[in-house]
Amino acid sequence: MAAVRAPGARAVLVNVWASWCEPCREEMPELLRYYRDNRARGLRLVLVSADDEEQRADVERLLAAQGFDGPAFIKHGDEMAFINGLDRHWSGELPSTFVFDGQGTKKLFWPGTITYGELGRRVGRLLAPAGKRASGAAKAADPTETPKTPSRRNP
Amino acid sequence: MTFAALSLAVALQMSGPLSVGAKVPAATVKMKNAADGKMISIADVTGKAGTLVIFTCNHCPFARGWEKRITELANTYSKKGVGVILVNANDPAMHDEDGLAGTQARAQSLGLQVPYVVDESSAVARAFGASVTPEAFLFDAQGKLAYHGTVDDNHRDADKVQKRYLKDALDAVVAGKVPPVPETKGLGCGIKFRNG
Repeated sequence: MAAVRAPGARAVLVNVWASWCEPCREEMPELLRYYRDNRARGLRLVLVSADDEEQRADVERLLAAQGFDGPAFIKHGDEMAFINGLDRHWSGELPSTFVFDGQGTKKLFWPGTITYGELGRRVGRLLAPAGKRASGAAKAADPTETPKTPSRRNP
Repeated sequence: MTFAALSLAVALQMSGPLSVGAKVPAATVKMKNAADGKMISIADVTGKAGTLVIFTCNHCPFARGWEKRITELANTYSKKGVGVILVNANDPAMHDEDGLAGTQARAQSLGLQVPYVVDESSAVARAFGASVTPEAFLFDAQGKLAYHGTVDDNHRDADKVQKRYLKDALDAVVAGKVPPVPETKGLGCGIKFRNG
């Protein structure tokens, strides 16, 4: 969570993926494109791999191939502790994406894959300067909010 | 699907799984058994010692990793008075192998001796609040949910398993006892719900 709460971000995407998860790999270019297009607006992307330590080489190879230079982590230890540590309400479904505001408060959650367009619609308002968020920010303050049309493309 | 129906589906998916102590939902909903094409329900397979319902599928790396252990548990405990049924609720439009033919082939290749059915509207999975594959729901002899969660703590390597959650729960239920760990979680693939 230190990577989420580190100062300097207006919004933080935490994407949980795995090297062997085909939809996870498919969505990653979309995630990275959105991140690169919006990091100047204060977006941070944190990638959390659910791979085991033995698969670290695969994880590093895939991240290098994508040219990702942000914070990346790999699962360590007990799987149930890993799931509950991220969110005790999370079922463990891969891929999944959590969205936090700049204070580290969870705002949104996506089970399944997401697209560039969905990210823009849902995360964009968190990236707006404080004075321009108004009603949109108030609506986004519900931590249980989930998009009405989540993608169901999972591994 | 209409917006209202979609919203309902999302709400059901997000409402969480059954709580321990809950009765079997959708027990009489008929589903097609891949082995012989007959329509059966969870009520049809209820066992005297308990009933085990596992939502699984044929393509997911987690389901594939655990499938031999699931088969072994299913075949073993079905002989100990536990009614066992495997349910594939995935939309085959997402993965061909999750259709009836793929499910039949998987059941045969694994040597499954219990029904492996197709939940053709995903209604049963929704009623259970299941969200990933594989996901187990074990009911005791009184029909109350005694265990919900994953199979064990290592889907990749059976030799490295340290916590056999489902087996321990089955042993407890067969003995008329409360499972030592009634709820667990494991990583899994999201169920590809059909538009229902």
